[in-house]
Amino acid sequence: MNVAVMEQALPPAPRVSARRPAVLEMRDVGKKFSAGAGAFAALSGFDLTVAPGAFVAIVGASGCGKSTLLRLIAGLDKPDEGAIWLDHAPVRGPGLDRGLIFQEHRLMPWLTVEQNIALALKNAPVPRASQNALIAEHLALVGLEGFARAYPRQLSGGMAQRAAIARGLVTRPEILLLDEPFGALDALTRVRLQDELQRIWLAEGITMVLVTHDVEEAVFLADEVIVMTPRPGRISLRTRIDLPHPRHRADPRLHQHKTDILAALGLAI
Amino acid sequence: MTAAWPTRAGGAVLITAAVPLALLALWQAAVSAGAASPLVLPAPAEVLTALRDMLGDGTLTAGLGISLRRAATGFAVGALAGLGLGALMGLSGVADAALRPLFMGLLNVPVLAWIPLLMIPLGIGETLKYVAISIAAFSATLLHTTRALRQVPPALIEVGTIYRLTWQQRLVHILLPAAFPGVFTGLRLGLTQAWQSLVVVELVASTDGIGYLSVWARQMFRLDQMFAVMIVIGLVGFALDRVLRAAETRLARQWGGA
Amino acid sequence: MGGGVNAAARLARPASALLAPVLLIAAWQAAISLGLADGGIWASPAAVVRAAREAVAEGDLAGDLLASLQRDLAGLALGIPLGLATGLALGLSRAAGRLFNPSLTAIRQVALFSWVPVISVWLGNDEPAKIAFIAFAVFFPVMLATQQGVRGVDPKYLEVAVILNMRPSQTLRAIILPAALPAALSGIHLALIYGWLATIGAEYLFSAGPGIGSELMTARAQFRMDQVIVGMLLIAGIGMMFTQAAGAAERRLLRARGLA
Repeated sequence: MNVAVMEQALPPAPRVSARRPAVLEMRDVGKKFSAGAGAFAALSGFDLTVAPGAFVAIVGASGCGKSTLLRLIAGLDKPDEGAIWLDHAPVRGPGLDRGLIFQEHRLMPWLTVEQNIALALKNAPVPRASQNALIAEHLALVGLEGFARAYPRQLSGGMAQRAAIARGLVTRPEILLLDEPFGALDALTRVRLQDELQRIWLAEGITMVLVTHDVEEAVFLADEVIVMTPRPGRISLRTRIDLPHPRHRADPRLHQHKTDILAALGLAI
Repeated sequence: MTAAWPTRAGGAVLITAAVPLALLALWQAAVSAGAASPLVLPAPAEVLTALRDMLGDGTLTAGLGISLRRAATGFAVGALAGLGLGALMGLSGVADAALRPLFMGLLNVPVLAWIPLLMIPLGIGETLKYVAISIAAFSATLLHTTRALRQVPPALIEVGTIYRLTWQQRLVHILLPAAFPGVFTGLRLGLTQAWQSLVVVELVASTDGIGYLSVWARQMFRLDQMFAVMIVIGLVGFALDRVLRAAETRLARQWGGA
Repeated sequence: MGGGVNAAARLARPASALLAPVLLIAAWQAAISLGLADGGIWASPAAVVRAAREAVAEGDLAGDLLASLQRDLAGLALGIPLGLATGLALGLSRAAGRLFNPSLTAIRQVALFSWVPVISVWLGNDEPAKIAFIAFAVFFPVMLATQQGVRGVDPKYLEVAVILNMRPSQTLRAIILPAALPAALSGIHLALIYGWLATIGAEYLFSAGPGIGSELMTARAQFRMDQVIVGMLLIAGIGMMFTQAAGAAERRLLRARGLA
């Protein structure tokens, strides 16, 4: 199937009101976990800066600390060492300025799609009157208009994950964190949603940090790919992918990047 | 005239009714052949007549009414207490740790074992029945409510953390809906056990109600009436079971899957 | 420093678990000693302990316990094999299941204890009736669980049997029975619980004789709440023992066969 045709087939994203992407800074971050006999360091001396509006992908084998990283940025856990700043303000606990998408969609089964998205707005500084319009905008953004009243059990895996993305974006976060968001989906749906994510990012200009073990996905979507090695989680390689968006999967330069990264992963193990 | 094969539905009915009908026929045959004295095994027709008579003169409706009222009241009291305490223990780790040993110990005493104890201060009055039945309902609802609340998937609770929901919002929008199917199961089991306890109490310590009717019929050697009462008891049990199970399945389907 | 705190915390947990029950017993004793509750009707914890010691000393307790347990065992020995066999038969044969399940379900709908008057007519009021009642109570959970276990054997395994050209008897022994075992065991677990309840209930409702339940009724008639409470605790205690033993046996058997 012609990749270009597929990309053209997606409707152009409606221009949602401009967001304010922010810079993410992590300095010397460390996190230990205790498991059975003794503690181990999931992350140690971790430094990272993500420019506003950038798309960064983090790849690595299981257990290299990439999920821990996202949870620290999201504020679900606290680092044992070092500090994290978003937009030059220190991160202390969860906040609506950071969106987090998990591998499972985590939609509430007893709420409709639009009610699920509305849940995110319960404590957002958005007046009730404008909430409906905001929800509708985001449904359109992820291509789910018409499914507002559907229940999660009526949606396919890909659609449910899109709804989760809409929920993650509706609070206008300064940065969107995605933890292996397409890992639970079949290969075809994964490709489709990668295209969606790229489209949304291009339309919104929001900073995105994507964690994945799929190197192809990383090079297709990101401006910068960071390779992590486990115990403790450390950066072993940073590669800039200086290719224009939207990208085509058949591009041989992408393939070269992929080979380089796989090599880095192979050597790192 | 064409002989039509029984339709699929007709066939199903036939199979379901086959064994009961066969048993009925056997029963009737045994009675007609004089194989059993009417004091031991009344004819099916007599049981039906007894049923009709007891419905007609109101004994059955009165007895059933009394029993259902008792079951409903006892269930309501016990279930409410079970829900309340279950919610407390389900939501508060402290309360759970403090109260669990006490209640798990007490709930291990079956209602049957409570009855003699309760009979000493309460005699065989209405209060005895209410207390015994509510104990049965209480156990089931407490157990299932606590469990349902403690088993809410942490993944969903985390979503509440991410969107900075207050604990009230988390309770209303996440914890309670997630626990609802489990709580409903507890209510269903509580009602079934309330009904079972009612029957026991009325056999052991009662002068009215449907359980008492069957005892009285037995003592008067009116076996036809005794069987008629048992049919009614069976029908009530069936209705409770079916209706609640159907509701539970519907609920599980609507709430299922995260 | 760390070790000391941890050890204290570990001790505190079981201790705190006993807090509520101990408080309750203390409050109960206080209520009676202070005259808040009538000591003539309500037995204090001290009175219960005394009654328990009496019962042990006079030697009746052991006899009653034995009698109840024997009755229970007899009922289990009758009801469980019948339940297993019936469950197996109804599970293996779709037709048999469809024929007999409706009747069995109908019988099950009638609350267990309402069968007591019927049984007393047909079997009298003594041991045979009690044992039959216990067997009856035990039969249904075992039959139901076994039937579901047999029906629930993953069709994929049955397909393997077909591909390997296994004879029906081989399929039964090698695939169906092991696959249905966990369900059957859980049915037996339930049977142990219901059986004990049926035993006590039978002792209430049929003729008197040796047995915990009968003694309980006698104590009640004499308004001896202290003895009644001893009986209650015994009943609950044995019930818990059954549950624990059944659970442990279930786990051990399943683990031995690699199913748990």
